[in-house]
Amino acid sequence: MSQLIGKKVTRIEDARLLTGQGKYIDDIGTPPNTAHVAILRSPYPHAKIVSIDYSEALEIPGVKGVVTGKDIEPLLNPFSVGVTAPVQYYPMAIDKVRYVGEPVAVVAAKNRYIAEDALEKIRVKYETLEPIVDIERSLEEGAPVLHENVGSNIANHRTFYYGEVNKAFQEADRIIKKRFEFPKYSATPVETYGIIAQYEESTKSYTVRANFHGPFVLHSIMAGALKVPSNRLRIIIPKDIGGSYGIKAGTFPYIVLCSIVSRLVGCPVKWIEDRQEHLSASSSCTDRVTYIEAAVKEDGKVIGLKMKMIDNVGAYIRAPEPACLYRTHANSTGAYDIPNLMIDAYAVMTNKLPTGLIRGYGGQELYFPLERIMQIIADELDMDPADVIRRNLIKKEQFPYKTASGGVYDSGDYEKAFELVLKLGKYEEFRKKQIEARKKGKLLGVGLACIVEPSGSNMGYITVALTPEERKAGLPKSGCAEAATISMDPLGNVNVRISTTPTGQGHETVASQIVSDILGVPREKINVIAELDTATSAWTIASGSYSSRFASLGSSAVYYAAQKVKKKLLKMAAHFLQTDEKDLTIENEKFVSKQDPSKSISMKRVVGSAHWNPLSLPEGMEPGIYETAYYTAQVEPPDDQDLINSSVTYGFVADLVTVEIDPETGEIHILDYFTVHDAGKLLNPLIVDGQILGGLVHGLGGAMYEELVYDEKGQFLTGSFMDYLCPTAPEIPKVTIKHIETPSPLTPLGAKGLGEGNSMSAPAVITNAVNDALKPYGVTIDSLPITPNKVWNMIHQSTKQEVSS
Amino acid sequence: MNGSGKVTLNASVEKAWDVLLDPLALKNCIMGCTKLESIEENKYEALLSIGIAAVKGKYESIIEIADVQKPNHYKLIVKGEGGPGSVEAVGAVDLVPVDENKTELRYTFDAGVGGKVAMVGQRMLSGVAKLIIQDFFKKFNKELAKSGQSV
Repeated sequence: MSQLIGKKVTRIEDARLLTGQGKYIDDIGTPPNTAHVAILRSPYPHAKIVSIDYSEALEIPGVKGVVTGKDIEPLLNPFSVGVTAPVQYYPMAIDKVRYVGEPVAVVAAKNRYIAEDALEKIRVKYETLEPIVDIERSLEEGAPVLHENVGSNIANHRTFYYGEVNKAFQEADRIIKKRFEFPKYSATPVETYGIIAQYEESTKSYTVRANFHGPFVLHSIMAGALKVPSNRLRIIIPKDIGGSYGIKAGTFPYIVLCSIVSRLVGCPVKWIEDRQEHLSASSSCTDRVTYIEAAVKEDGKVIGLKMKMIDNVGAYIRAPEPACLYRTHANSTGAYDIPNLMIDAYAVMTNKLPTGLIRGYGGQELYFPLERIMQIIADELDMDPADVIRRNLIKKEQFPYKTASGGVYDSGDYEKAFELVLKLGKYEEFRKKQIEARKKGKLLGVGLACIVEPSGSNMGYITVALTPEERKAGLPKSGCAEAATISMDPLGNVNVRISTTPTGQGHETVASQIVSDILGVPREKINVIAELDTATSAWTIASGSYSSRFASLGSSAVYYAAQKVKKKLLKMAAHFLQTDEKDLTIENEKFVSKQDPSKSISMKRVVGSAHWNPLSLPEGMEPGIYETAYYTAQVEPPDDQDLINSSVTYGFVADLVTVEIDPETGEIHILDYFTVHDAGKLLNPLIVDGQILGGLVHGLGGAMYEELVYDEKGQFLTGSFMDYLCPTAPEIPKVTIKHIETPSPLTPLGAKGLGEGNSMSAPAVITNAVNDALKPYGVTIDSLPITPNKVWNMIHQSTKQEVSS
Repeated sequence: MNGSGKVTLNASVEKAWDVLLDPLALKNCIMGCTKLESIEENKYEALLSIGIAAVKGKYESIIEIADVQKPNHYKLIVKGEGGPGSVEAVGAVDLVPVDENKTELRYTFDAGVGGKVAMVGQRMLSGVAKLIIQDFFKKFNKELAKSGQSV
């Protein structure tokens, strides 16, 4: 009886968002007597703080207080993090600054203007230290060490062997290896971080409103840092968050900072981050160096992989890092059937902004080397890259497919999706066109990428950062639980409360589709509330908006909560109609007997009875209609062999990109971007395509525009949108999105997460296309972002000046 | 960022040297310098107001004169900190006589900025440096002329 699930239903959020009635953090008002804070930040990447003199700042009328690291140190614990390295991370520098932009002092004042002016009156004496920003140099003997008590810059190091790696490399016809660098870049939501924090002395508790979107495991970490029982830290998320793309998980140190400032200054405080702060001091993806080695047979079959990955987590490793290294652990071999795998994973700390979630989290860092090496294998074997991919793709009959590292790919038909993208992109025809074009000196290229898109993170995967022995000391972590609550009021209208803190993805719309279908209630009668409140909502440590988890987990919690309500309503209706529940169907908001359609009762009457006439209910039944469901998929903690199914569902993306390069200017023109997705059953194709396009443009940014640049002295050089380039509408190429649907057997609706896939694939596929175009010059570009300048230099450095086909 | 250049001064080496090391003259020549006070020999405390791109602000600076080889060579070390971030520069000045009333001044510099000003000002930095240096010598020739009149 599905009516709305799977339909292109328009979004219920849009009416308020498009008419300026969204309720973002900056719209919700402040408690009386709220001070506004401004943060003094370090201009040095690495320095000792000798002294801070803020006496002049305090004299400015309107300034309510100044707080420094020394003030907060006795009141806080350092943030806990899932590695054994004893890194002391506080939300503000105590003795030493370790990146440009690190908070050094906070001014709270009557308004932001006064607070900003007061910052200029604070005198900080620094003693500068030698900075380190280079990933591999940070590992060398004699490199400056950021955290003396850690003893080196290594925050985490683990090595994994799966299958028979050495045997595979012995049996290989060729070993093809390459080093890749992946850059540090950002997510750039229109709305920056925003926090309103209030400390109440009488109860010694904090109430915080923030555009934080989880994972709510960080709530425990924040309460721990503030040294309060966790129910004394109430976090309330506004109804609307103006985009995040992962980066707003990084609000948590600032939540603790604003909380403690509220306590010290003695009034509520509000902080809205500015753009420069956002680029320099919020969070970012990790930059990574990967050494990848493939054991390859002459026919293009890859039989083993070795990857040494070194993630730069910035100045402090902070939760949930080193998750970037391990989020994709189960799908480390991507879409390919490669049973033998070695991973040598490092997280290192350098004098750069600390890292965290951004869209694709770990996927782009993984697939850039993996998808590049597949094309390089084709080049070395003189094969068509499409044939190398075909040779290695997991076959339909292999699902559910168990990966070398413990993943279980739930469903898929990778060959079908890949052949579809080749057909859409007219691959063979383009190859012919390319040959003709080369004769005329024109540079055409085509790139391919096939990636597995993980969604719904297993909360246990982060513990892979620990050895099996270290893990034994703690409580095992597993699952990916989410909760939803559905209630019906006395007049039969529905309220749905979700804990997935949407940041623009339309969770309210999809939740209403699901509830409408299951309860047979029109959408107009359904009100969805997406305001997570840790004191009153049903939530879990996994709650939140990340790892594309709504379609796989959030929607499932809504589904099961609706089923609970339906079950109760059916029981009541059967009681009133003196029939069996199995005899009843829901039609036009009525319960109707299948055997005798003249027997029926309206839903309004049934629901009303639960409120107005509870004594009429079946014996033992509770009054009211208020059901909460907690849902988790079956994902286990890592085992003793470090096998881990790091996500619940695994979608698939096949990309084909064609480019033309202007050899005169180095400009890359993307002719076409074809992308075929398999995200299981689609819940709302309209939202799906919007999410995919957004993720694709973020990936395009990583491929061609975006980078948080630091010079060799650790100075940060891209603190505005003049310096940090984001793709805007004119940069977006022609994109064709197609879908196939192989429903997940694991989720009740067959849905998988999506939206991050092209963030993961675009850097790889665009680089493949550019290198394909540059083939006549015998050069390759493997450093991102690929700018016209780099392309031009490559072309002009190449020894092969003559273009030949 | 580094650079170098040369400029012809309408004065003898000795006279140019004297004016170059006269704090009052220096204060008049350095763009945005509102204070220049000697704190010890060859060391001055200065207040500089400089705008680089969108970042305008005041820098409290220490200007040190080092490696003095009168009257031909010295080094200028500038370290400033302020709201917009930090500035560090080292300049080397060489005076070469051309004739009695003409001196060629050759300079090299290496300058770096930190904090906010580096985040948004990097693109503008070499332009701003050029501007400040050109402005300095324009004013400096005026100072030379002034001191010529007073003699």
